[in-house]
Amino acid sequence: MNIEEWKSQIKRGTLEFCILLLIRQQSSYGYEIISILDKYPIIAAKENTIYPLLRRLLKEEYISSSWQEGTEGLPPRKYYSITDKGQEYIGAMSAEWENLLDAIKEIKGE
Amino acid sequence: MEKVLDEYLEKMEKYLKPIPVSERVDIINEIKSEMQELQCNGVPAETIIERLGNPKDLAKAYLGDLLSKESRFRWNRFLTVCAFYSLVGFSGMFVIPCLGIIAPAFIVLGIGAPVLGAVKMIDYIFNLNIPYMENIGISLGEMVTFNPVTEFIISLIVGVLICLAGRIAWKLLVLYCRKISKTAGRLSYEERE
Repeated sequence: MNIEEWKSQIKRGTLEFCILLLIRQQSSYGYEIISILDKYPIIAAKENTIYPLLRRLLKEEYISSSWQEGTEGLPPRKYYSITDKGQEYIGAMSAEWENLLDAIKEIKGE
Repeated sequence: MEKVLDEYLEKMEKYLKPIPVSERVDIINEIKSEMQELQCNGVPAETIIERLGNPKDLAKAYLGDLLSKESRFRWNRFLTVCAFYSLVGFSGMFVIPCLGIIAPAFIVLGIGAPVLGAVKMIDYIFNLNIPYMENIGISLGEMVTFNPVTEFIISLIVGVLICLAGRIAWKLLVLYCRKISKTAGRLSYEERE
């Protein structure tokens, strides 16, 4: 049984969705996003996954970014927020996600 | 910031060379921000570096999309573009001039034939004695003579058929050109990607 391979595939397929949901909840910066995801092993990911992914989402205009000066000794942070296009994308993804859950439920015979 | 961390960022910057300067600076600043964040939380420099992993690998993760995308379809694209333009070049050499001549010529002939037929019929009916009327007629290798009214009806039917053929040729030409420009557009769009 190779559950790890399957888990990593799930992660690959859903990380984008999770990050967008997270940013929609509240504008956030890279380290914070990584820390929050870290709480959930199934979608926890390292810097070398999250940052390039954020950059891609930025390029595709699902999110926007702005640097904010640090206060009280804190470093400047690059905050990401959701765009209208991102909202739309989340909407479409959510619908598909529901489809998937329904399909699994039905196939399982529940 | 500690020297090891600065060195880490320098190395990363070196590996990020293929990315435009402004973006590169932004990437480095973001990683730097995380380093400082961790330092504020009291994480030692060594642990930070351990967490971020090899600077080369981190830089490569940013380049990943870029590299695989380009090298993957560059050769394929080259072949596609070659095939497309040779096909268009060859087919265009015949298709465009042929259709381009056939379409207007057929339409003019299609209109011309019944008009001449009508002139001959009018000449016959009203006995106008218009000169050269004997040169107008139905030819199947040699001149076949019918009653000019019958000739007019035949010329009308043939004219309509030729007109239709001309229209079809014209539509084909438009379709052909549209298809080509659409495909060319798609190819250049892929190139920009």
